[in-house]
Amino acid sequence: MIVDVLTWLQQPGLSHFLIVSAIVFALGLYAILTRKNAIMVLMGIELILNAANINFLAFSRYSTHSLDGHIVALFVIILAAAEVAIGLAIVLNIVQNFNTANVDEIDRLKE
Amino acid sequence: MVTETILQQLVLFVPELILTGTFCLILLTGAFTKLRDYGTSTLTLIGSIAAFISVLPTIGVQKSLFAGMIAIDSFAVFFKLFSLVCLIGITLFSLHAGELKLVRTRSAEYYALLVAMTLGMFLMASATHLLMMVLAMELTSLSAYVLAGYTKEAADSSEASLKYILYGAVASGLLLYGISILYGLTGSLHYTTINHVLAVEPLSRVPLALVFVLLLVGFGFKISAVPFHSWTPDVYEGAPITITTFLSVASKAAGFAMLIRFFKLVCVNPVASVEAGYSIPLLPIDWQLLLAVLAVLTMTVGNLVALWQENLKRLLAYSSIAHAGYMLIGVVSFTDKGIASVLVYLVVYLFMNMGAFLVVMVVANKTGSEDIRTYRGLGSRSPFLAIAMTVFLISLTGIPPTAGFIGKLYLFAAALDAQWYWLAFLGVLNSVLALYYYVRIIRNMFLRESESAVPNISLTSGEVLLLGALLVPTLVFGIFFSPIVEIAQKSIVMLGVP
Amino acid sequence: MLTEFGKIFIFFLLGIGLVAAGLVTAWLLRPARPYPEKRATYECGEEPIGSPWVRLNVRFYIIALIFLIFDVEVVFLFPWALVYRNLGLFGLFEMVVFLGILFVGYAYVWAKGDLSWDKPTPQIPTLHSRVHFSEGDLQTPSEQRR
Repeated sequence: MIVDVLTWLQQPGLSHFLIVSAIVFALGLYAILTRKNAIMVLMGIELILNAANINFLAFSRYSTHSLDGHIVALFVIILAAAEVAIGLAIVLNIVQNFNTANVDEIDRLKE
Repeated sequence: MVTETILQQLVLFVPELILTGTFCLILLTGAFTKLRDYGTSTLTLIGSIAAFISVLPTIGVQKSLFAGMIAIDSFAVFFKLFSLVCLIGITLFSLHAGELKLVRTRSAEYYALLVAMTLGMFLMASATHLLMMVLAMELTSLSAYVLAGYTKEAADSSEASLKYILYGAVASGLLLYGISILYGLTGSLHYTTINHVLAVEPLSRVPLALVFVLLLVGFGFKISAVPFHSWTPDVYEGAPITITTFLSVASKAAGFAMLIRFFKLVCVNPVASVEAGYSIPLLPIDWQLLLAVLAVLTMTVGNLVALWQENLKRLLAYSSIAHAGYMLIGVVSFTDKGIASVLVYLVVYLFMNMGAFLVVMVVANKTGSEDIRTYRGLGSRSPFLAIAMTVFLISLTGIPPTAGFIGKLYLFAAALDAQWYWLAFLGVLNSVLALYYYVRIIRNMFLRESESAVPNISLTSGEVLLLGALLVPTLVFGIFFSPIVEIAQKSIVMLGVP
Repeated sequence: MLTEFGKIFIFFLLGIGLVAAGLVTAWLLRPARPYPEKRATYECGEEPIGSPWVRLNVRFYIIALIFLIFDVEVVFLFPWALVYRNLGLFGLFEMVVFLGILFVGYAYVWAKGDLSWDKPTPQIPTLHSRVHFSEGDLQTPSEQRR
């Protein structure tokens, strides 16, 4: 059994990366659903984007053998940076207006 | 040589280049000159009109640009012109918006971001590559996040932008994850190649179903379809009203353009469609039924929740959710007639929805409130405004002789034509439901007296002109509708669709 | 047969093992006699005052955001630099356009003063009171005598 696992670990292929990516994705989703602080939610979103990135790179290395995946990964990095910059700026503004970054406490707009 | 073809293709890309140039110019003007609101808005108008003129020569062109990244075709041109009309309208709205007057010093950012959003919509409508689609969607969304919180000193506005970015970023993250799996399954990001692989190779259903669900989250967020709509009411209520209008019309239209192009190009059985002469859906999973369920949910939830809204902006937000549901009916039927009916509906929706929001904005400027109670007695205080609002609301309900009736008629006819009887039936039922809350506003305006002494609302000549410009098409297209139907039927021509 | 990743994995395990072994041995061997002075935070021999969780100036945050954007854009420069020879003049022009658009943003940030550091503006205290003071009321007795 252990030998099997060790040999599996020693021969990294597509499935290894997909599993890592799925774990990162799940962690991101978990952070988004459970964290109350807006910055933590943004971190969860980063994890999801990075999970997608791992997928793109793994597929382009092991299954499609094209450069498309690498290029998409570059763009996703930029996208994540832009999103997080705007997100943090908005959180900064929220903290100035509400004096908290807790998503649950920011609920003026409810019927 | 690659570079030469790129340079040659740039000729067809001029509208986008003009918008980019306008964006940079507005920012530089805002940074280094003393020009404020009127200067930057004039620049925006000049830029958008220049872009409008430069789109016109591309009518009828069918070409794929930049190694299949985007397509220039009638469908894209329709949505480009549509979003430019919206941009021009919103720029004119902004000159009259009371809430924006407080933040005049930052007006360059406001107009620059509006232009950036429009550029994003251009690319959303013409993207034929998943990366391009995502980037275009993000360009639109990121600008919209900032614009929703533009009056950042107002707590409501900043809350709207926070909710918008949190929901939006999650949606785009899920969409990207879905795309990454789709890339792994099909080995390509080009719509046509994906379509080919889907048609030829037997792919396992489970990952494919996952991909479609994740993609639907992204699309559903953009068109605010239930159950991905929860951001809509809060963002629409908190954002400056000009931005709310832009989001509810142009951004939604661009979302539909993206959705329709994706399903038309990717989820069509290429061989069978060519034989039959019309698009036959490719069915790895029954996405038509999925969309139909989404449409029904969207209409019903939108209309039901709108019933007990007191804030008009929030009420119109729910009403716009419901309208997205109606338009989804056209997408579900998937025939040429169905797609054309969506385009007809979008044109009609542009005028009536912008009109209704304009009235809310004018009233909010004068009274500082969007509550339904401020509309009591509006019929006697300001008859023109009240009558205009009535026409817009009747049109939103879909009662003849207004344009809204024509839009709904075409949608439901297309659904019946494609044998989606229960969907059309539920659509009609929902329109009846919607009648209740639209009439409630009309009743408040004409049959109720205002409790306190409210000042009469006098309109400036600019506001009257704008209202008239939206009112006339709403009425005229109700009777003389063949031109928009013809334009819509010509505009469904899409590159690569049989 | 070890692949490159297998070697890395072994390094990984060895690393964890060595650190854990060191910590565990120390924990087993060391005497544990804590007293308040020993547990206090070491601040160069001074007694610590207040909490270490101070709020940083919000300026750092804004500068960091601006840095983040311009920093990450460099990602596009690396692949471009790799194939620069094949692209020729056109590639140069394309990158100039790209950087030009970026610099418009930079110029905007600069012109709007988001890069300049907040200078403290000393506030001269003023008196806001509904009670009406005459000129003489505010003078000290010695001044009045003069």
